[in-house]
Amino acid sequence: MKKNKAMIICFITPALITFALMYLYPVIRTILMSFFKVESATAGLTEWSFNGLSNYISLFKTDIFVESMKNIAKIWIVGGVAVLSLSLLFAVILTSGVRGKNFFRAVIYLPNVISAVALANMWIQFVFNKRYGLIHSMGKTFGIKALSGLDMLSSDTKFWAMLIAYCFGAVGYYMLIFLSGIERIPSDIYEAATLDGATKPKQFTLITLPLLKGVFKTNITFWSVNTISFYVWSQMFSPVDTEKSTVVPVLYMMDIVFGSKTGSSVRDAGKGAAIGVTLAVLVIIVFFIFNKLIKEEEVEY
Amino acid sequence: MAKKQKEYKMKEPWNWNKELKLLPGYIMLILWVLLTVVMIGWIFAASFSTGREIYKGDLFKFASGIHFENYITAWKAQNVSLFFLNSLFYATISCVCIILISAPAAYVLSRYTFLGNKTIKTGFIMAMSVPAIMVVLPLFSLTSSGVLSKVPGRLILIVLYICMNIPFTTTFLLNFFGTLSKTYEEAAAMDGCSPMKTFWIIMLPLAQPGIITVSIFNFLAVWNEYFMSLIFASEEKYRSVGVGLFTLINGLKQNGELGALFAAVIIVFLPTFLIYIFLSEKIIAGVTGGGIKG
Repeated sequence: MKKNKAMIICFITPALITFALMYLYPVIRTILMSFFKVESATAGLTEWSFNGLSNYISLFKTDIFVESMKNIAKIWIVGGVAVLSLSLLFAVILTSGVRGKNFFRAVIYLPNVISAVALANMWIQFVFNKRYGLIHSMGKTFGIKALSGLDMLSSDTKFWAMLIAYCFGAVGYYMLIFLSGIERIPSDIYEAATLDGATKPKQFTLITLPLLKGVFKTNITFWSVNTISFYVWSQMFSPVDTEKSTVVPVLYMMDIVFGSKTGSSVRDAGKGAAIGVTLAVLVIIVFFIFNKLIKEEEVEY
Repeated sequence: MAKKQKEYKMKEPWNWNKELKLLPGYIMLILWVLLTVVMIGWIFAASFSTGREIYKGDLFKFASGIHFENYITAWKAQNVSLFFLNSLFYATISCVCIILISAPAAYVLSRYTFLGNKTIKTGFIMAMSVPAIMVVLPLFSLTSSGVLSKVPGRLILIVLYICMNIPFTTTFLLNFFGTLSKTYEEAAAMDGCSPMKTFWIIMLPLAQPGIITVSIFNFLAVWNEYFMSLIFASEEKYRSVGVGLFTLINGLKQNGELGALFAAVIIVFLPTFLIYIFLSEKIIAGVTGGGIKG
């Protein structure tokens, strides 16, 4: 038993050190920092001066930050509904007995292994390009003026172009999670329902959906966590300067902590920390709301 | 189970009535797949063409021949080789170190009950959903003026990549060790093998399938990592492929060197694509098998 104790300590300590270094210490320091006036991220504790909630208050009085929160809310709601319903749809189609299931599943998941920068480029330089892009040439081929003349990357539609491209890549991941949830439901439940005369759509709403509650919760949590870290896509679609239409909180944080590319803004690391805390708190709230909202009955198959 | 289903499907004869009912499903799947294939195919074709051909929309004809020099331009002149080797270096080293740290921790967490066991497990699970924005500021001050400021540039990124992936890897392997039978250890103990030795020479090799799956994930995660590399690569020469690609894209676009631009995209995309072609079954099983519970 003594020996085991030594072994446990030996084996677990390295992992705990990385945990403390990467998560425990930084998270605590970020939370503290958000209540202080801190100019540079590298400033030592002695240079911090306490200013209570004023970082948060001034953030919500800043237009561009409010704009970024609106954008992230749109991404979370519109993108979330689109991604979760498309991924559920594909999961249902794939489990309905189509041929080549493994192939389709693999192709739909594929964008998830591609670097986001490369993937965003495929969309920006090809699909959305107004001179030779996919939408343009489709419009030309079929004689649809509205399509061939469409410039998705103009500032009016840029946000939606970004969201479409992002969602396209995300669907595969959530589909896999739905898929495994559906496959865990024993097939004899469906067989019994078929014998009792339940149609396929009825089976879907009365058996599949209720039994997928837990999976929905998982997917919504993942979607929320991934959405608040939304950054690369925003930078790819506005590569030169921060734009109102595509700005997201993380991008704004990078601007005020490390300086924007135009070098105009004042550095404020305390405010940056407050953005992080705001987002983290939002995710926790969402998590608890959905935990309350989606009551999962314990089902044993 | 999955194999059985496959065999069963192979033997299934074509039933046109049934297939017809599934037609809307097929159409949607095929459209989605088509978009993916067209997109990647077009980028691939463009990477062998000249900027003028791309602008005119004359791809796939290769009227002026196949332009391999796009790749040479991208690789040499645009420094893609440097970013590529950086990422390869970061990904390989951190994958090995992650396993060396995570596997022992996962093993004792799954096999022994001790004070704090549950807290540590929960801590790792929570760490997986901590957004990067909550940790980068203190880490930045640690690396630029704190205890880590003496660490050379490349090593900082490797340390961060290791630490970042420990929670997921440990949780994944913890579940994997849980599926291994305890009889191996009992037999080893009977023969007088110490628990520590048992782990290194018996249990770790047994966990190989799980280790391979999780390492593929770690490799992909580090290869595609963007945010950390952007902040913590103190000099351009330390950048990974994602950030490297981002910086050279704008330059190439302005010079009209679209061919080289797409060649760079393909170079960054190819390694993960090849890994995926050969290991997609393992990756897909890993997404749904690991730390995720319904």
